[in-house]
Amino acid sequence: MAEPRAGMTSDTFTRLRRAAPLAWAAPALRSRALIAAAAVAALLFPIAIRNDADIDSLANALAFAALALGLNIVVGFAGLLDLGYAAFFAIGAYSYGILSSWQLQPDWSSFWEPFQWLGLVARNHTTAGDFVHFQVSFWLMLPLSAAITASFGILFGAPTLRLKGDYLAIVTLGFGEIVPIVVRNWPSLTNGAMGLNGVAAPQLFGFNFGIAATPYYYVAVALVALLILISVRLKDSRVGRAWMAIREDEIAAAAMGVDRVRFKLLAFAMGAAFAGMTGTLYIAKLQTATPDMFMFPVSVMILVMVVFGGIGSVWGVVVGALILQVLQSWVLEDLSGWLHVLGRFVGVDWLQRVELASSIELIFGLILVFMMLFRREGLIPATRRVPALSLTEQSAQVGRGGFDRLAGVGAGAERDGEKLLEIEDLTVRFGGLVALRSVSLSVPAHRIVAVIGPNGSGKSTLFNVMTGLVPADGGMVRFAGMEILRLPPHRILECGIARTFQNIRLFPNLSVLENVMIGMHARLRTGTVGAVLRLPVTRREEAEARERALEILAVFGNRLLPRLDHPTASLSYANRRRTEIARALASGPKLLLLDEPAAGMNPAETLELVDQIKSLARIGLSIVLIEHKLDVVADLADNVIVLDHGEKIAEGTTDAVRRDEEVIRAYLGRSAVYA
Amino acid sequence: MSDYEVLLQQVVNGLSLGAMYALLALGFTLVYGILELINFAHFNVFMVSSFVGMWALQLLGISGQERALTGFALVGVLGFAFIVTMLAAGILGVAIERISLRPLRGVRGTAAMITTIGVSYILFNVILLTVGAGSENYPNPLPARRWQWGEVTIDLKEVLIWAVALVLMIGLQLFVNRTRLGKAMRATAQDAEAARMMGVDVDRVIMTAFFLGSALAGAAALIFGLYYNYTSFIIGYTAGLRAFTAAVLGGIGSVPGAMVGGVVIGLIESVGGQLIAVRWTDVIIFSILVLVLVFVPTGLFGRATPTKS
Repeated sequence: MAEPRAGMTSDTFTRLRRAAPLAWAAPALRSRALIAAAAVAALLFPIAIRNDADIDSLANALAFAALALGLNIVVGFAGLLDLGYAAFFAIGAYSYGILSSWQLQPDWSSFWEPFQWLGLVARNHTTAGDFVHFQVSFWLMLPLSAAITASFGILFGAPTLRLKGDYLAIVTLGFGEIVPIVVRNWPSLTNGAMGLNGVAAPQLFGFNFGIAATPYYYVAVALVALLILISVRLKDSRVGRAWMAIREDEIAAAAMGVDRVRFKLLAFAMGAAFAGMTGTLYIAKLQTATPDMFMFPVSVMILVMVVFGGIGSVWGVVVGALILQVLQSWVLEDLSGWLHVLGRFVGVDWLQRVELASSIELIFGLILVFMMLFRREGLIPATRRVPALSLTEQSAQVGRGGFDRLAGVGAGAERDGEKLLEIEDLTVRFGGLVALRSVSLSVPAHRIVAVIGPNGSGKSTLFNVMTGLVPADGGMVRFAGMEILRLPPHRILECGIARTFQNIRLFPNLSVLENVMIGMHARLRTGTVGAVLRLPVTRREEAEARERALEILAVFGNRLLPRLDHPTASLSYANRRRTEIARALASGPKLLLLDEPAAGMNPAETLELVDQIKSLARIGLSIVLIEHKLDVVADLADNVIVLDHGEKIAEGTTDAVRRDEEVIRAYLGRSAVYA
Repeated sequence: MSDYEVLLQQVVNGLSLGAMYALLALGFTLVYGILELINFAHFNVFMVSSFVGMWALQLLGISGQERALTGFALVGVLGFAFIVTMLAAGILGVAIERISLRPLRGVRGTAAMITTIGVSYILFNVILLTVGAGSENYPNPLPARRWQWGEVTIDLKEVLIWAVALVLMIGLQLFVNRTRLGKAMRATAQDAEAARMMGVDVDRVIMTAFFLGSALAGAAALIFGLYYNYTSFIIGYTAGLRAFTAAVLGGIGSVPGAMVGGVVIGLIESVGGQLIAVRWTDVIIFSILVLVLVFVPTGLFGRATPTKS
């Protein structure tokens, strides 16, 4: 056995860290300058342009930018296509509208006195008696309608978020249609199709906003700025990574510890909250609300803004929304005017009457088709381009010897050789096909067990059952004394079992680093609040997580470290396998399940991998290995289990198994036994 | 007319509606079965075809309600109208597939579905901008013949609808189950890659599915116009919602499912409209859609599972 090279990991890691800051300073400075310029322009706009109608148009545009940001979280980050997003817009709008107008006037009673004391309602004396007048403040309503709308998001999402992408789209379309219809047909609550009126304008320190557009414009700017901040902070955090993992590959996300249901609901609720706040602002500015303002075309328009601007790109969707709104309110009107003049000039009647503004929906349709066919990433793509690698970065030396220390991965509390994993009588059926038939095996701690067998023998099914991706029809699986058979995949990861997949399930559009950091999802604690506020404890956790990821990646020499920011879809097959192993290691497992890790590697790379796996076992990991390369099995395995047609047909050392007649028959056929 | 007879009349009406929704749902489900794609554009192809049918009838000099024909003239006019409408719809469907969907064939995720939303929008707005927002009177070549069964009336046009729908549905079943191309379609629906390896021209199969599906929508569109005596730019949404729910209810991707689902939704619409107010019909249908997807995602006959494991 070769000598392990001490300190290999920290060398490479330090080298890279020194190089990093220089590479990334320039773009950060440039984007900061752009943001500052945009902020200044936004703040000075009403002073420069004194036209109230124009300010109002831009305020509307900003409201739609806020809506686009909300939909971006649902569609762009989490990958959940929501075709009924306007329903949340409506709920936020009507929440404020109902609680600040004369629509509801219940009889006065002592029940309302504490609310009157809080300033939320007023007592209205009329000849017919005393009534309640709701006058909840706009500023209080902003967070309140966010909460109300988020609750509706959870209400709609809870039964439906497990549906596949296109079915979820249909259900959300359904909700998007049901909400305005309910609003229209419930006049006592919403004044039906005639719309709410008398919605109170916001007041700030005694100043009533009235109907001038300027104060609403500034509130809109502040809202958009806040939502951009929240979006950017979430995207670059544990929460954002979990969302993107779900978007890229739900199964792999679950296997890496992401609680899919919880995070999908979170995305839905967050997107709904954004729409709720925007609805409140929009209605306060309009001082009325009708159900027609929230129909399907509005949902489509917001989707077009997101697609046009760049799905998943925070600045992209803001720019996309602003451009399309400006197109609708200014450009098309001016263009129609010019066409009218042209029509008069050439005497064509149709040109004189054309109104391009009413063809905006046709333009939306064309934009959707065009963008999907020719520029799916949108105007401002969410993923940055990465610079090409130098020749030295591209050439990788095969390193032998493995390593002797790896942060976060190590000996657990189990004694050496004690049974870590016990499987008894495990049976799995897919319809009429019995994939696993009463399979029993055990994995001792700190040992390597290999599972071999012909194709279709049930090896990957075994892994799938162990990690909760496939239900079992009988039997028991016990890990560190705990029954794990009925647990969901992310809980099994939390217990300490991590895996790789036979067909490699990486998150293709995410970088190598992001993939590995998602592996750490279950070990990190940052939630939404921490991510948005960037508390010191959060920043520390992120920095430590990043360092640990780099250390793990450094195990593979300079194969993966130069490619930290590259999307994994661009990696070679062997590098993708290595990234998957790194991602599994990042979760700090006690038991590692490797499904054909050496597939796609040449003999030299295979030897390198064997050394690395030996090192993992040496530092305390237990490993179950599915492999077809029997020399790898011979070199690594303490114990070999042979499956054929779902049954265990042999178990023992490599030599014993190699000579077993049943095994020879399974692999090579009956006549080979007598050869 | 007793309550029972009113209900029976609504059942008769519902069956006719159901036949139309069944045809529309069939076209939709054919495409889904092969591509697992929800084609939003399908329902506006339906809407555009109803206008084509109207123009075809107007071309033959039939407009409004005055000119009722009988015998061979009637059969000839209807035959012409159906052939022209179905052909135009089929060609439109194939064009949509070729231009906007084939380039997206391998792309993961909802990109193709978003594209169909775009195409749907384009069709909708082109008609809205050219023909306008009003309803158009549909030409009616049918004589006003009706049969009485107690107090229940069965109109000639309802018999016609059922005849056409049955012929088309039986034709489709025969095609899918007895012809080579039909077998190729079923194979592609089960496993496109394996079908390709067995020598099936998958591109041609997909094109056929789009052609047949859109042609069925065209037939449904002409039926709509003849039944309701009007057409307008919005019928894609209204009828489309119902046909879509019918397809989901029956089990999306299943041909018998679409037929059964269509009839059920037609009955629900007409009987439900009678028992509860008509303005709530949309909510009822959408609620059925949501409830089916949440509780019985595979529908009545479906095999495709809409949930992720």
